[in-house]
Amino acid sequence: MKSSLFIVIVLLSGAFAGLIHGTVNFAIVEPYLDQAIGIENQNLFESGAEEDSPEFWVEYEGYRTWQKSGQILAGVILGTSVGALFGIVFALSRNALPGNNDVKKSLILAGVMWLTLYIIPFLKYPANPPTVGDGETVVLRSILYLSFIAISGISAIGFYQLSKKLKNNKKLLALVGYGVFISAVFFVMPENPDEITAPMDLVYEFRFMSVLGVTSFWASIGIILGLFWRKLSSQKEIDYS
Amino acid sequence: MYETRQINVSKSQVPKLAIIALGIIFAAGLFVVGFDQGHVFSLVYGEQAFTEMYLHELTHDMRHAAGFPCH
Ligand SMILES: [Zn+2]
Repeated sequence: MKSSLFIVIVLLSGAFAGLIHGTVNFAIVEPYLDQAIGIENQNLFESGAEEDSPEFWVEYEGYRTWQKSGQILAGVILGTSVGALFGIVFALSRNALPGNNDVKKSLILAGVMWLTLYIIPFLKYPANPPTVGDGETVVLRSILYLSFIAISGISAIGFYQLSKKLKNNKKLLALVGYGVFISAVFFVMPENPDEITAPMDLVYEFRFMSVLGVTSFWASIGIILGLFWRKLSSQKEIDYS
Repeated sequence: MYETRQINVSKSQVPKLAIIALGIIFAAGLFVVGFDQGHVFSLVYGEQAFTEMYLHELTHDMRHAAGFPCH
């Protein structure tokens, strides 16, 4: 496969998977965002910062429509971006991945990245609907979240390299090592400093839908890139010399 | 040039330029969706972009939905 073709299928897979993610979010996450922003509006009226007037609602509707329409576009941008990372890791690890075809290999890698880069960091720093976060702490929270994702991803690679040096039945030790290490990091890292004032039902339901959305992305990219790769690499065997 | 370089599956040599290109796309896209507070538009529109934060508003809902820190 040529470099240019490789880049094109990686970006296309990411954009498609991101489109699916954005569409799923539009359907299942947006209702919770609306609820959370509704609470915010109530707080604004009660504190006197805004007036419950027709003008307010006209402006609000325009603003929310703009934000909602962004959900799908942002899904495509984020999908292309994370897809690029997925493509790099897949190209570098394809030979080592278990599975007898490219779709299985790609899905397995998507599962590993979903777990190490999303689910484990999510357990420490779960997604929150609007009104929960404090604008003053957003930089700190971004640093904590990104650091935890990076630590998890890099240590997963490190323990994988270690497993290659270990003999057959000791390979599992590397997996245990990752588990112990990331658990330690989990307890050492500071908590999200913000206090949740929104109703917990809303927060938990929002988080559940958010996980479904991101999971739809990782499942899609695993399948789509695997299918592209299988289709194009079988042709490659013919013209590859 | 690199267009003619190929991914040699058996030796798993992935072209470095392809990796670098994808790495840049990864970093740029993640920044725009996850963390931008008006920086990208400010390149074109100047300081005003920071107050209006168009890009932030457009990526705002995905930011919450995908688990990035926000408001
Ligand atoms: Zn927000």
